[in-house]
Amino acid sequence: MTNELSRRDFVRTSAMAAATALALEQNATAKQPPRMELPVIADVTWNKAPCRFCGTGCHVQVAVKDNRVVAIAGDRQAEVNKGLLCVKGYHVGSILYGKDRLTTPMLRKNGKMEPISWEEAIDTIAQRVMKAPNRFAFYGSGQWTVPEGYAANKFMKGGLSSNQIEPNARLCMASAVTGYISTYGVDEPYNCYDDLDHADVVILWGNNPAEMHPVLFSRIIDRRLRGDKVILVDISQRRTRTSEQANHVMTMKPNGDLAIANCIAQQLIANKTYNAEFVSKYCNFRADAEPARYDTLKSWDEYKTFGTLMGKPITFEQYQQMVAPYTPEKASEMSGLSVDELKLLGKLFGNPQLKIVSLWCMGMNQHTMGTAINNLVHGIHLLSGHFGRPGDGPQSLTGQPSACGTVREVGTLCHALPGDLKVDDDAQRAKAEHLWNLPAGRINPKIGYHTVLMWEKFCTPSDKGGDIDTIWVQVTNPGQSLPNINKLFRGKKGLENKFLIVSDVYPTATTELADLILPSALWVEKNGVFGNSERRTHQWFKMVSPPGQARDDCWQTIAVAHRLLELGHPGMKDKDGKFIFHVTDVKGEPVEIWKWENYYGKVNVDEKLYTEYRQFTKIKHKDVAPYAELVKARGLRWPVIQKPNGDWQETRYRFIEGYDSYVEKGKGIQFYHSVTKDDKALIWFRPYLAPPEVPDKDYPLWLDTGRVLEHWHTGTMTMRIPQLRRAMPGSYVEVSREDAGQLGIKTGDQVRLETRRGTLTLPAWIDGRGKCPPGHLFIPFFDEKLMCNLLTLEAHCPFSKQPDYKKCAVRMVKANQSTPTSGG
Amino acid sequence: MQHSPPPESEVTMQRDATAMMPGVLKRYVVLFVVFALGITLVGFLRGINEPSPLQKTPIEPSLISSDVPEAVTYSELPNARLQPNSRWSSNLTNLRFAKPGPFEPVIRTDEMKQLALADRTRNRAYDSAPPVIPHAIHQPQVSNCLACHAEGLNVGDRVATKVSHPHYSNCTQCHVEENRSESALIKHFLSDNDFEGTKRAGPGTRAWPGAPPTIPHTTWMRQDCTSCHGLVARAGIRTTHPWLTNCTQCHAPSAALDQVDFLKGQP
Repeated sequence: MTNELSRRDFVRTSAMAAATALALEQNATAKQPPRMELPVIADVTWNKAPCRFCGTGCHVQVAVKDNRVVAIAGDRQAEVNKGLLCVKGYHVGSILYGKDRLTTPMLRKNGKMEPISWEEAIDTIAQRVMKAPNRFAFYGSGQWTVPEGYAANKFMKGGLSSNQIEPNARLCMASAVTGYISTYGVDEPYNCYDDLDHADVVILWGNNPAEMHPVLFSRIIDRRLRGDKVILVDISQRRTRTSEQANHVMTMKPNGDLAIANCIAQQLIANKTYNAEFVSKYCNFRADAEPARYDTLKSWDEYKTFGTLMGKPITFEQYQQMVAPYTPEKASEMSGLSVDELKLLGKLFGNPQLKIVSLWCMGMNQHTMGTAINNLVHGIHLLSGHFGRPGDGPQSLTGQPSACGTVREVGTLCHALPGDLKVDDDAQRAKAEHLWNLPAGRINPKIGYHTVLMWEKFCTPSDKGGDIDTIWVQVTNPGQSLPNINKLFRGKKGLENKFLIVSDVYPTATTELADLILPSALWVEKNGVFGNSERRTHQWFKMVSPPGQARDDCWQTIAVAHRLLELGHPGMKDKDGKFIFHVTDVKGEPVEIWKWENYYGKVNVDEKLYTEYRQFTKIKHKDVAPYAELVKARGLRWPVIQKPNGDWQETRYRFIEGYDSYVEKGKGIQFYHSVTKDDKALIWFRPYLAPPEVPDKDYPLWLDTGRVLEHWHTGTMTMRIPQLRRAMPGSYVEVSREDAGQLGIKTGDQVRLETRRGTLTLPAWIDGRGKCPPGHLFIPFFDEKLMCNLLTLEAHCPFSKQPDYKKCAVRMVKANQSTPTSGG
Repeated sequence: MQHSPPPESEVTMQRDATAMMPGVLKRYVVLFVVFALGITLVGFLRGINEPSPLQKTPIEPSLISSDVPEAVTYSELPNARLQPNSRWSSNLTNLRFAKPGPFEPVIRTDEMKQLALADRTRNRAYDSAPPVIPHAIHQPQVSNCLACHAEGLNVGDRVATKVSHPHYSNCTQCHVEENRSESALIKHFLSDNDFEGTKRAGPGTRAWPGAPPTIPHTTWMRQDCTSCHGLVARAGIRTTHPWLTNCTQCHAPSAALDQVDFLKGQP
């Protein structure tokens, strides 16, 4: 009896124990992770700043002691990263302390760089500009702070009446911009990172966030630990660290994404799983031409002859006819995906219960059909109605901390003005002239050279049509990041009359050819405002002094502008004869901010410039928050609207009723900048086309380039951080096992890569950080000693002018062997 | 003589003895058989519960927590030294529930860390050598190894670590059973070699307080960080933040240790 009882008890107890354990586990999953505390360090002051690196826009806490940054921690109050960072972010403080910081202005005299004074440096630039303002160009980046970019833009377009200003972001997200504009009529994502917390399915289009946007990636995959099911679909040219976490890894052929997206649309229509109600309420259809035009279309070169950014209206029936050929069987041949994989994607998009987020960055943007693939991915979300709910929509990511804030919003592009205005639109130019208080006609209506063309003109002799003679580079490293650098950068070597001015913090591939080098302040050595990928504007204050004579880029621009004013350039004055950067203090007294000693202390120049710029942002309902609100917040997502009680409210979802206060009541979704002026977005057809350069018998392999987790862009900052350099000390070429076997290559062997544009010898790594399929090579671009852009192609998307760094034809031989064929 | 068949009655007697018994007797036989079987069963059950008659002195549960007792075969049972371990009543299912939740606070002291590292070192000839198997194995098939090592198990304060590398199907190729016998022969072997293995390379460097330490060891064959640092791991080297699952997001490896430093230390 007792035995029996105890046995029964035991069964009951263990069942209870199991249930308790289960309950505990469920409780645990419901719990949120503990918040990380700031490390305890004596005598330091902590302050907030956005991270200096990528477009995610994490906030860090910076510890300062005795005018030096001594520690970094994740900012717990930041919604983007919730206290977490990536390995680069945790080490961002070290970027200030590389031993070879530039600290003195230097001018090339008789071939040698010699230290000069700031006065001489500023005067040298002003004299050159004064001599030929039309042959001067400004080249910046998405790392310009908002006030820096704004000042440069105003200086060029409002001062010099020149549109020769471009950012390196042209190489980075121009296709996303044209994609948004031609789909919704206005740039930038409607949604935000909150989607990553709600999505059931995340589709990565040529995107490797595990290495490029690690904080966003772990925000997705850490959900699994809390019991959420998230299906990750990795559509990519090679396996990456992201693939390791993916449920489905779909390896595609270059340009296969165009066929994949069209195939999803084909299935949605063929299976009648598209969202007819959503489409009829909120969408119109568009293409470059009549359906028949595509039947005979042979090549990308031919497409460029008739394709346009804004296209022509088509009917749903015509659209149906255009996507009809993209059956899974046909698309499988084009894309390299299996029919089953394509059908799986069709099924996911056809399921209205699922919430689907598409993410992309360079994979879709650095693409000779960049605008097209952006259009198509927006299109399948619109067609299937996977749009507008939290966790359900397409979102592009950016690679630079202020690609959105400074380039897209401030308009530091050859065709744009602040606030999304265009230089070739009379009314919009007039609007800018009014806000800048300039005489009518000051702004030049002629669009300037886009990045590739600007550098081509600079590297062409002046008497042979190279009509850009002076370029001032700030906050970027084109000597390493431009495609085909033999042609687009090194071509400058030995050309008389060409003068390269570089403002930077370290010696780089660009300063090597510089004639004038200006030492710049970096990150928390100056005030700043950045704008991240989810429309979030964030601000920080100067915390430490720059080293030596290094000074703010923005001050440099204003100082040159003022020197030009002194030299009598008429454009440096507004309508009332005041300096275009006229600034007053609280008492209304003018402050001579072009004198360095006045730049900090008497007035916050950043706040002044930002506040002036803020007026522009209201034009297209992108109202950024007042500076004082940014100071309090860890960034705010525009439009930031003042509520009746005086509070400022950010917007998580644009165009969506209930979130965006610009949407009229009862509209549900209102694309209020619609191309068709009827509040509807455009579902585009764009064709699949093979890339302009494909492997052939002379150059039999694909070459793909990109980044690794530890290094950011050209490595000028991260290669100077010991912890990161130790992890990834140099570049390499990732080779598949199959290709290595065939060519007798082992890991560590030196191999020579040759394209039609250049040659590079570097070590091979079989598989490597990622894994290439046979016939495909990959090189990260961070290493200034092994620059993969000697090999890359400058062919670019016809609309966005963004080059394709992800695919060109290459051959590989062991370094000690001669080239097998002489080639073409 | 004429060969005659046995009388009919005899045949019947032989073939049908019980049938000849009265009904009452028949019932007693059934009862007797049931009773006999019952006695046998009780005897057997008692017998297997009794300590072996050869072991007069009961074993003190001198529980050395680091020693998992070896499993024995049935034939060895009478002579085996039987002793409880700290989870006598545990079974695989219960052990799985012993896994801590990802959000439970992790307590880690320097002393625990030293203990864990010492324990780790004990099983390895040198840092990054494949660890020896600190328990007996009679079933070297991969499925048997994975029964405990696929996800990892806590057994009291002992840990069956999760496999740190992709699953290979021949565990005993690299991991061999450690012979813990104290025989003179084994002692001789152990003292017969002056090999001095490399010690742990760590700790990793921190740029400043609060910065994530770099990874001080190779990540080759240690691709799964949770093997040593996850929820089921030696307490002293467990991660303090198990809710973050993308380890290399913050902790940088070393190209040199991973043998992919193609520059060979050149600046």
